[in-house]
Amino acid sequence: MLNLFSIENPEKSWEWMIFLAKKYSDMFWEGTKLTLFIAILGTLLGFVLGYVVGIIQDAKINQGDNIIKKLFVRLLKIIASIYVEIFRDTPMIVQAMIIYFGIRMQAHIDITPVSAGILVTVLNTGAYMAETVRGGIGSIDLGQREGAWAMGMSPMKTMLYIVLPQAFKNIIPEMANTFLTNLKMTSVLNVIAVQELFMAAKTVGGNYYKYFESYLVIAVIYFVLCFAFNKVFIYIEKKMQGKNDYALAVEYMDNQ
Amino acid sequence: MSETIISIQDLSKSFGDHEVLRKIDIDVHVGEIICIVGSSGSGKSTLLRCINKLERQTSGKIMFYGKEIRDAQKEINEYRSKVGMVFQSFNLFNNMTVLENCMLCTRKVLHLPKAEAFDRAITHLKAVGMAPFINAKPAQLSGGQKQRVAIARSLCMNPEVLLFDEPTSALDPEMVGEVLNVMKQLATTGLTMVIVTHEMAFARDVSTRTIFMDRGYVAEDAPPSELFSNPKNPRTREFLSRYLAG
Repeated sequence: MLNLFSIENPEKSWEWMIFLAKKYSDMFWEGTKLTLFIAILGTLLGFVLGYVVGIIQDAKINQGDNIIKKLFVRLLKIIASIYVEIFRDTPMIVQAMIIYFGIRMQAHIDITPVSAGILVTVLNTGAYMAETVRGGIGSIDLGQREGAWAMGMSPMKTMLYIVLPQAFKNIIPEMANTFLTNLKMTSVLNVIAVQELFMAAKTVGGNYYKYFESYLVIAVIYFVLCFAFNKVFIYIEKKMQGKNDYALAVEYMDNQ
Repeated sequence: MSETIISIQDLSKSFGDHEVLRKIDIDVHVGEIICIVGSSGSGKSTLLRCINKLERQTSGKIMFYGKEIRDAQKEINEYRSKVGMVFQSFNLFNNMTVLENCMLCTRKVLHLPKAEAFDRAITHLKAVGMAPFINAKPAQLSGGQKQRVAIARSLCMNPEVLLFDEPTSALDPEMVGEVLNVMKQLATTGLTMVIVTHEMAFARDVSTRTIFMDRGYVAEDAPPSELFSNPKNPRTREFLSRYLAG
């Protein structure tokens, strides 16, 4: 019987895949961990940034407010739209290079490739999320806000308690999508020498000149990760839908 | 005449070239129940939205106890917490239960302690017969139930005036009855109300003053006994003719 895990002289491609995966399991494992770390941290922080920018973009300038407040809001809105445009209209791989070398060479700050990689992911995610959040906010009926305003609630609190919770629910699928994209897009960070999965495959492949097999290994890893996360997100989405029934408060049934 | 709560002075509103309100002057006194009637597009709802500052007037003033309400956000928030509004489309917060709907603003705007906010919510929900449904979400309620919750929610703020923007227009005839009954009940408590409505019988029976609006003007402003039996303005007569004949 052929023992899959004791291939000493691989010949066929699948034998090479198993051989490489086994021999360099530490490297692939480290790469997987780093890929997950950057994707998760970068996405979460990117979501926070995206919400902030999305809310700024949605903010209305109240004509009755004083001039300083109006100027401040307008300035924030301009900065927000410049940021979103720049990061949506350039490739992430270019952003990675510019940010990494910009910070190292121009600002003379000794940033590590991983930190730069997270920064790029955050900024990129933030720009896309801002648009998603803006759309999510726009999908909530204006009446929801007017109901709160009419009772004296400030626009900011209304956003926080009424609009965002509803918008959040609507954009969960899009947020899941963004995370899966990020999980795969971390692969471009190999250009700034981040030791993530893609970099691992490149190194391993180079050792035996078996690139095809090496990349197949990480393709499987990426696929399994994305597949698993996707299932988790679908589960969360179902959980968030809440119950369809409610308990009558029997203690008040007599209505006295 | 009792004290003036809200004084609308020379109020005009245009959407672009379209003049919706033209030089409106109305004083709302304590304890009055004012019904505003008129054909669709006559500016009734816009007037109500201007009173609550949901629309910004083009010119003119809104005075609250003699003090002009300016457009600064803080001032508007403070003023709105004293002037409740009930909407045609209910506008209950969809992400919250009935109880949370009634407690949110007393907690976050008036900063009441939780126990007091809860007591207020239960008191007013009982008054509109919705207390057993405190755990329900708006989507699980009928239109009439939603509107009753919306009324209770507004009352929790202890408003000085309650504005109603066609509260029954989105309801079927049976539900109209249950909401109007709640409003009739409210009228007996001495709460000041301004009601935009198409329910002529309600306006005639419940209001202390009826205003007929036509093309952005206040065409007639009279006690319902006069307005419904002996309208002075030809437009009022025309508008009411079908109702009066029937």
